[in-house]
Amino acid sequence: MKQLKNAQPALITGAVVILFLLALFGRFEPKVAVSVLLSGLTLGALYFMMSAGLSLIFGLMDVLNFAHGFLFMLGAYVGLALFNAPFLAGLDSNLRFVLALVAGGAGMAVLGAIMEWSLIRPLYSRPIYQVLLTLGLTFVGGEAIKAIWGTAGFFMPIPAFFNGNGPNCPSPDFFSFFKDNCSSILILGRAFPSYRLFVIALGLAMFFAVILLLRKTRLGIIIRAGVQDSEMVQALGINVRRVFTLVFVIGAGLAGIGGVAAAPFIGVNLGIGQEFLLQAFISIVIGGMGSFSGAAIGALLVGLARAFGDQLVLSGIQLPFMTEMIKLSPSIARASTVIIMAIVLLIRPAGLLGKKE
Amino acid sequence: MDDDISDQRLTTSNQQPKMNTTNLRKFFSPGVLLALAMAAFPFVLSALTGQPLNTGDPKFWMGMLAQVFILAVYAMSYDLLMGYTGILSFGHALFFGTGAYVAGILLKHAKWDLLPVILAVIGVTLLQSLLVGMLSLRVKGVYFAMVTMAFSQMFFILAEASDFREYTGAEDGLQSIPVPAWLSPTNERLTFYFVTLAFCIGMYLLAKRVVNSPTGKVLLAIRENEPRAQVIGYNTFIYKLIGMSLSGVMAGLAGMMNALWNLNANTSMLSVSTTINALLMTIIGGVGTLSGAILGAGFLQLLGYWLNVTFGPRWPLLFGIIYILIVLFLPYGFIGTWRANKSKILARWNAARGKA
Repeated sequence: MKQLKNAQPALITGAVVILFLLALFGRFEPKVAVSVLLSGLTLGALYFMMSAGLSLIFGLMDVLNFAHGFLFMLGAYVGLALFNAPFLAGLDSNLRFVLALVAGGAGMAVLGAIMEWSLIRPLYSRPIYQVLLTLGLTFVGGEAIKAIWGTAGFFMPIPAFFNGNGPNCPSPDFFSFFKDNCSSILILGRAFPSYRLFVIALGLAMFFAVILLLRKTRLGIIIRAGVQDSEMVQALGINVRRVFTLVFVIGAGLAGIGGVAAAPFIGVNLGIGQEFLLQAFISIVIGGMGSFSGAAIGALLVGLARAFGDQLVLSGIQLPFMTEMIKLSPSIARASTVIIMAIVLLIRPAGLLGKKE
Repeated sequence: MDDDISDQRLTTSNQQPKMNTTNLRKFFSPGVLLALAMAAFPFVLSALTGQPLNTGDPKFWMGMLAQVFILAVYAMSYDLLMGYTGILSFGHALFFGTGAYVAGILLKHAKWDLLPVILAVIGVTLLQSLLVGMLSLRVKGVYFAMVTMAFSQMFFILAEASDFREYTGAEDGLQSIPVPAWLSPTNERLTFYFVTLAFCIGMYLLAKRVVNSPTGKVLLAIRENEPRAQVIGYNTFIYKLIGMSLSGVMAGLAGMMNALWNLNANTSMLSVSTTINALLMTIIGGVGTLSGAILGAGFLQLLGYWLNVTFGPRWPLLFGIIYILIVLFLPYGFIGTWRANKSKILARWNAARGKA
């Protein structure tokens, strides 16, 4: 019985995914459904890079970092600036992209360290004010980006490795992709952008890296213990404050990498910070606050729902009582993920894996 | 100053003699004096500058103050939630913006009269705050802040969506809302000024009445110690919901007035920066004091104006930095810091005067 209770989150997740797949394959033909599924995984990977940091930081230090969306956005801007930097113009675009990823991640990690050390640390005795402060940072950060880069959005080119356009394109399978570097790969006869597959792989890599860090290293043990009871950890003679900073750095770095990875297909503009913060919040509500696997599951579910919703509004919705199909804009799909959050709040306020209050 | 209404009730019910002078002194409390000063302000300024009422400087400063009054109501509504009930919402712009949009759409597209529009704004924001409250009050603390922010972002996205361009004007906002001629903020500035002043005073008295009522005391109890209030036997969820819907309706009305003043409703009224405004006004003035919220609104409006004149379009950046500095160094705001350190400051002041 107890085992059944422990397996409850897994069962619910499984049921939701199966229902989703049924709806997806019932509504669309298989090749469309598969590409929606892959788009969902792509978005899920990006949401994961946001929600993982948010959730870890909250679990350990009880700080909900509203500036996380700003870190994501700034990561994208910094990555783009480096990608287009004149002094790197000689290098090929793949190398510049890798540099941008590293710089976006490392830059945001450093910024996160500075933020934690200078602004958040003095306020541990006044937790509400920490939240007010991070909200203010979002605002200031957005204005600063506006001042430096202006209000117009940018497009980041896809690196050459994922942007081939030869005679053999789109690639029929993965092996020929590695030979031709096509911009898209045929999956069940439908072309899917290869760059998005890279984003999925990157998300998976980050997921396993953090899992390894949490399960196999000493730091990970301390973090997990800190999430349970940070005062006890401190009482055992471990400098928890330093671990706080480290976790903040990891979270900020993940957000920065996510921002750079998102840039080539979402674009770089002033709206992406709020947009990804919103979806990451919804992921966390679904997955449960302070749980790393919860954040990952939540991100995956929100990503899938977004992709499904996008496809649905684009292909048109026709309910039984309607005479005509209505076509909606993707904004409606974006907004409707909040409804998922509302449903979760109604049924299970603590989320799938969250601690019960 | 925050207790004068309850005091007045006490004195009248006791029916004691020789309370007349105290009553008179009570009547001329700083709040009443401020209200009288505000009522006299346009005429005084007009007399001083020698310009007629509906032109030049008097017109400009009346507009400035009318905005302060509107913002003050918005700040008070937020303070009811954050200061008196102790729940931190990051989605307050939702009600402000909804009030503005409902008023705008009904005036412009449905061509309703003002009175039914006001009732509609009250109805819609009441319904909305009940719905959002029922869902988001299931969680607590920063979690609540996050959920309310998500709800307000949803409406922000919907207001921007191109699907409803016909009604909301999408990202351009709802432009040129027709306002009844007698209330036009451009032609009948003096009328508008007094309407907003009356609106602000009325809402202040209402909020104060609520705060001093038995329900208000329960809200305070929830702020101080929610489990304890629960143990005493109060259904804190219902009380929090009452606090939230009251605050939502007040914010909605303020949003409606703001739409009438600007003659438009735009997406920024629903955005995070509008919520930050509410936070800033409340914190600057002092959390948990209605007078502080009014003070905060005045300070914010004048600060915004001054920053805009001095630094041009980059002023929100400085604004945000000021917000962060206040959060870091002045957590209890002007009124709160004053109340906490009154004796210290007065002693220092007296000592300085004694020396001089």
